Amino acid sequence: MLSIDPSRTDLCEEFKRKPFGRHSADLHKLLDLMRWGFARGRTVILCTVPHKEWRLAKFGPRRGTPMQIDENRAFNSYQDAVWACFRARWKEMTGRDCPIE
Amino acid sequence: MPDRLLAYTDKLSLEPGDLVEVKVSSPRPGSYRASLVRMICGDDSPEGPGYKAEPVAGVPSNEYPARHQPIPCGSYVEIDDRNAFALQSFSIRTFIWPTWLDKSSEQCILGNWDAASKTGYALYLDAAGRLALRIGDQAPLLLPHDLVSRHWYLVAVAFDAKSGRATLGSRRLMAYGHSGQRHFVEGQLAPSAVANRFLIAAWNNAKKVAAHFNGKIDSPAIYGEALKLEALLAFPGTRDEVPPERAVADWDFSQDVGGTWVIDSSRHRRNGHTVNLPTRGMTGWNWDGSEMNWKRKPEQYGAIHFHDDDLYDCAWQTDFSMRLPKDLKSGVYCVHLMQDELEEFAPLFVRPAKGKPTSSLAFLVPTASYLAYANHQMDTSWSFDELSSARFTSINRTDQFLEEIYSLGLSTYDLHGDGSGVCHSSRLRPILNMRPKGDLWQFNADTHIIDWLAAKGLDCDIITDEDLHRDGLDCLKPYRCVITGTHPEYYSLKMLDAVQDYTDRGGRLMYLGANGFYWRIAWHPSLEGVIEHRRSEDGMRAWMTQPGESYMAFTGEYSGLWQRNGRPPNMLVGAAFSGQGFDVASYYKRLPASRDPRAAFIFEGVTEDRIGDFGSIGGGAAGWELDRADTSLGTPPHALIVATADDFPASYHWVNEELNHTHSAVNGDTCPMIKADMVFFETPHGGGVFSVSSISWAGSLAHNGYDNNVSRITENVVRRFLDAKPL
Repeated sequence: MLSIDPSRTDLCEEFKRKPFGRHSADLHKLLDLMRWGFARGRTVILCTVPHKEWRLAKFGPRRGTPMQIDENRAFNSYQDAVWACFRARWKEMTGRDCPIE
Repeated sequence: MPDRLLAYTDKLSLEPGDLVEVKVSSPRPGSYRASLVRMICGDDSPEGPGYKAEPVAGVPSNEYPARHQPIPCGSYVEIDDRNAFALQSFSIRTFIWPTWLDKSSEQCILGNWDAASKTGYALYLDAAGRLALRIGDQAPLLLPHDLVSRHWYLVAVAFDAKSGRATLGSRRLMAYGHSGQRHFVEGQLAPSAVANRFLIAAWNNAKKVAAHFNGKIDSPAIYGEALKLEALLAFPGTRDEVPPERAVADWDFSQDVGGTWVIDSSRHRRNGHTVNLPTRGMTGWNWDGSEMNWKRKPEQYGAIHFHDDDLYDCAWQTDFSMRLPKDLKSGVYCVHLMQDELEEFAPLFVRPAKGKPTSSLAFLVPTASYLAYANHQMDTSWSFDELSSARFTSINRTDQFLEEIYSLGLSTYDLHGDGSGVCHSSRLRPILNMRPKGDLWQFNADTHIIDWLAAKGLDCDIITDEDLHRDGLDCLKPYRCVITGTHPEYYSLKMLDAVQDYTDRGGRLMYLGANGFYWRIAWHPSLEGVIEHRRSEDGMRAWMTQPGESYMAFTGEYSGLWQRNGRPPNMLVGAAFSGQGFDVASYYKRLPASRDPRAAFIFEGVTEDRIGDFGSIGGGAAGWELDRADTSLGTPPHALIVATADDFPASYHWVNEELNHTHSAVNGDTCPMIKADMVFFETPHGGGVFSVSSISWAGSLAHNGYDNNVSRITENVVRRFLDAKPL
């Protein structure tokens, strides 16, 4: 089975440029790896002001517990939040910072 | 948790002049203002037509005091007679199938213990998931052996008040070589013979109920004496079994499976009733796979599955009533509440007075599908949600509220806290995704159609699935043309028969969505506003039924796909669910059949070959969920496929009910089965069906000030379908 190859900065660039729609086969595989399994415990996106503001967040350990919301950073476009979520997942899965800012 | 004003009404579908009771809960003191608005468009996104609501003349806006009302979630059984269980000595025997042993809180199996007064007795699981007996305020007697989740156990306790001897034991039905099947422990306790409420799957906390059990309970019985543990742990019907006539009560959950009664099969008839609709018709300890239908071998379906997050009815007190004006126009309305910055809407669907249609056009509001999705939490219920949607989990404040509050009742898309699938969904609770200003799905997406009808000056009556299920064909008969919502997915037999009869008798149906008429549901025959669904056999399933549990408890009908029940959607609307994806939408290409004289009216004034390459949902009219025409699956052979959309990326996935063997070519890049086919065909007696086969179609109607080819095609079809001339 594949794992994330931290040297593939090209895939990060491709996702940053075009987060939705048709992707290259290698990026598609990378995103499948990032998206496999339950979201609980991983970085997700919370829209905090409808159509205006998004933040990164994590679900609590189970339903009925508070979410952890990143209060230090807000995004004013969904696409920016998606890119930040990609970078957070990259770090969660590889242990390294995403090579593309 | 974000503050949230919550409301629901006693009815969802009403007639002008009806009285509606509004039930409200606020997290703050003070007061809120309530008014009635006519809802035109709930989409407040920058890409959409904009939020549009109009005040209703004749219904004054009023201020009401705010108060908090509790949400009493969790299912259990309450026995009507409490005095018979004020026992000095007693024995209990029951089968259990625990499902949430690591919940870290106590779960009562049965008894009359009250946590507030610390009186009575209970057989329960302690916070570590171990079998325990509690009497009065004494330290519990614990069986220090771990139970195994989703395994059947016969568990028992015997307590002799005179000697104080208590014996607690368990017998796992499944044999494993490395561990013992039977365990027991003895202790000394004093009696607490009080006439508290006797509950199954919960215990008392003064007037409230607490410590809900998660899992199945089968054949619980209680005796007024200390019996031998060996006899209590003998299987029913065997020689060593305690004679049933010695029971104080011996409940048989296989009786009245569709109802709320719990029947005591002993001579005492100490019956009870279920609260919050636990799941019934469940395989019991003795189910052997020889029968899949609980009606045919009820003796093997003696289990009820309880969940601490089941919720049928919030049972809130009414905060105020609102009388609808007698001349109120049929339409979509909302009770609109404002307290400070907190805003809440409770939708009302106002149909015309019975027998007095006000238009020859009707919009059939898919309220059954609204219920199926009510308060869904797919984001955390599904291990495959991100792979299915091709997005990182993206939620809003409503989703956050539902996550943090624990249970406002779940949807049929969710897993209970114990991991089992949710079969029931009711409207007697606030439904936070059946609101304007939310996700463009179901209710809010359907307001795109309401908005477009208003923009085009097309008067229409509003009818709902509940009306359709109650009145059948009579609900549709007055109308020359009926328009569906964007995703009318859940149908009862009576609803499906009514729509089929309607088209067979000359009615004209415009199916402005996709993945419709897909799942078979049952409405409860006597309880108001609640559906049941079992995710049987196949289909794009949020969860899977357990073996032997595909027949619905409400009616005994086999659930699952309508296709697998011999009624494929293709028969009714010419197309059926073919694929889905949720990151971008696509467009249709006109096909030669669009120039067939039979279909000429559809494309009148449309010059483009590319249809719907715009829109507020995914940027196209073909998207989210898609239907494909296929004569081999039941599409009428004379159906015209006038346009098709087939350019979808790999984020679109083929439906698994068509996939008999797994392989890799199942996405939009490689699978030719993923299509949205725009279909038209004539039905007997001059009727007709037009299907767009895409959920995102309605999101394109308002593009360019409602002047676009999606809007034009829709209007062409409405106007032709309203023309009495046979198709």
